[in-house]
Amino acid sequence: MWWPVVSGGRDAEYSEFVAARLSSLRRLAGVLCGDWQRADDLVQATLVTVYVRWGRVRAAAHPDAYARAVLVREWLRERRSGWGRRVRLGGPVAEAAAAGADPDVVLDLRAAVAALPPRQRATLVLRFYCDLTVEQAAQVLGCSPGTVKSQTARALETVRRTLGPPPAAGAGGQRAAAGEQPIYPGGPGRE
Amino acid sequence: MSESQIRALFAQIAAGEPGGSRVDAQAAYRRGRARLRRRRAWLAGGSLLAAAAVAALAVAVVPARPRPGPPATGPAAPRQFSPLVPYLSFGWLPSGNSLVAGGVRPEVAYLTAGRSNALGPSTWDLAVYAAGQCHLTGPARDLKCSTPALEGLTARITGRAPAVGGHRAFWAGPFLVWQYARGGWASLSLPLPYSSPKLSNAAKYEAARRDAVKIADHVRYGAATPPLVFPARLTRLPSQWRVSSVYYLPDAGVLRASRFALGTGNPDLGADGGLEYQTNLPYLMIDPASRKGYCYRSPNRKNSSERSTSETINGHRVVVTQQVLGTRPRQDLCAAHADGLALYISQFGAHPPINLTSLFRDHLRLLGTNPANWTRNPIG
Repeated sequence: MWWPVVSGGRDAEYSEFVAARLSSLRRLAGVLCGDWQRADDLVQATLVTVYVRWGRVRAAAHPDAYARAVLVREWLRERRSGWGRRVRLGGPVAEAAAAGADPDVVLDLRAAVAALPPRQRATLVLRFYCDLTVEQAAQVLGCSPGTVKSQTARALETVRRTLGPPPAAGAGGQRAAAGEQPIYPGGPGRE
Repeated sequence: MSESQIRALFAQIAAGEPGGSRVDAQAAYRRGRARLRRRRAWLAGGSLLAAAAVAALAVAVVPARPRPGPPATGPAAPRQFSPLVPYLSFGWLPSGNSLVAGGVRPEVAYLTAGRSNALGPSTWDLAVYAAGQCHLTGPARDLKCSTPALEGLTARITGRAPAVGGHRAFWAGPFLVWQYARGGWASLSLPLPYSSPKLSNAAKYEAARRDAVKIADHVRYGAATPPLVFPARLTRLPSQWRVSSVYYLPDAGVLRASRFALGTGNPDLGADGGLEYQTNLPYLMIDPASRKGYCYRSPNRKNSSERSTSETINGHRVVVTQQVLGTRPRQDLCAAHADGLALYISQFGAHPPINLTSLFRDHLRLLGTNPANWTRNPIG
């Protein structure tokens, strides 16, 4: 890690802020991207924007929240652009499950969340990783609270549908034995 | 699946943060300052001053050495790639890395490679763009690619890189970009295994850059081996239908087409922004069946547009699902076990010339699991 050499004032404040928040920004980026290489690129881009807007960041009631919003919006912008989509051409590559969890379940869930449209994924991350209220998430995403609610509901429904019915599925649902894998698209171009 | 499981998943991902970081706070600081300078120059002095500042920045961010190679001369890059012929192959890979997947569309051919370790696969990408898809801006600040499917693609150049194959090359953040032939550009993301310890080590980052240049130097164009083969054949289709994109996997000594789309060559930004699909034409995924694979069947709830039916077609059990996503009708056909293969076909659009049931029943021939029976010509 290389830290900027700064003499004081704006640059010193920025440097101090980055040093203190880098790890949390990186974790948020990792959760959004599902890939630590791209997470680092996202944080890099976020830090540039935070520097340019440092006056507004410093003046914000919650500088952390401001930086978080910059990161989420930068990610959404990248996902809209071709560059972000190109590097996903190969489809999401599942990473290893955390120790102690059922690896199959975790990998399925991870793939299902990774396949969500970007705004739905961002909504889930803000609500269930950052623990933001509906109103706070709406502020970050630049939309109405109602949209956050509907995006959350749709995202959860999509994940449920992708994972298939639980073993004891209700009426109409196909029963899935333990360990069975749904044949379901999760490939390129699905976002 | 519940909210608590989603929370647990996110917490697990965050807890898996690798120790090393490629984030370069100093570079962010420098770029932020440069951007501010440009903005202030623009505000203060108008376009002439801003142009001067931009020119100064271009000089400032581009190290004097190494010198880039000359613009590519000699053979021109292909005007477009054939999705049936992988255009690319690696001539050299860093130790422990291997080909993971690849794909071809008319405007771009790409390969994904990487290595697996305790934290899972770590991959990187090589992409080669057809002639005219990408353009270097005047002062070599951006590489811009503009196609219907890749609108807005821009790589911001951060420095000169050693020449690749004798041609000019640049660093664009974590990418190496170079002119591989006249009129054609390529990009390669740095082969950095994110799960390695101490990735913040500058020496390792530089080593990854050296590897990137060596990989790029050894890329083979136009002569991909082994062949790309399809485990299915489509017959009696409308004459203008073609395979428009392919995603393939190395498998049993061949490159097996795992997913492919059909198109008519007409621009179509409807279904997915032109990335893979064409409205009213199918997108197929075919892989070896797994013993525990099954097809999801919608519970056909009253308040949902999604409707599934189970049928037996040509002796195979399939689930056909219809739904409306927004305003777009979508049809899916799934067969979990069909001649040893698992099949999933999707189609967007209200007026497909051939619906998926008919496609599966009358136009699709599955070729089993033996690569010797697979075909290089999936249509015809």
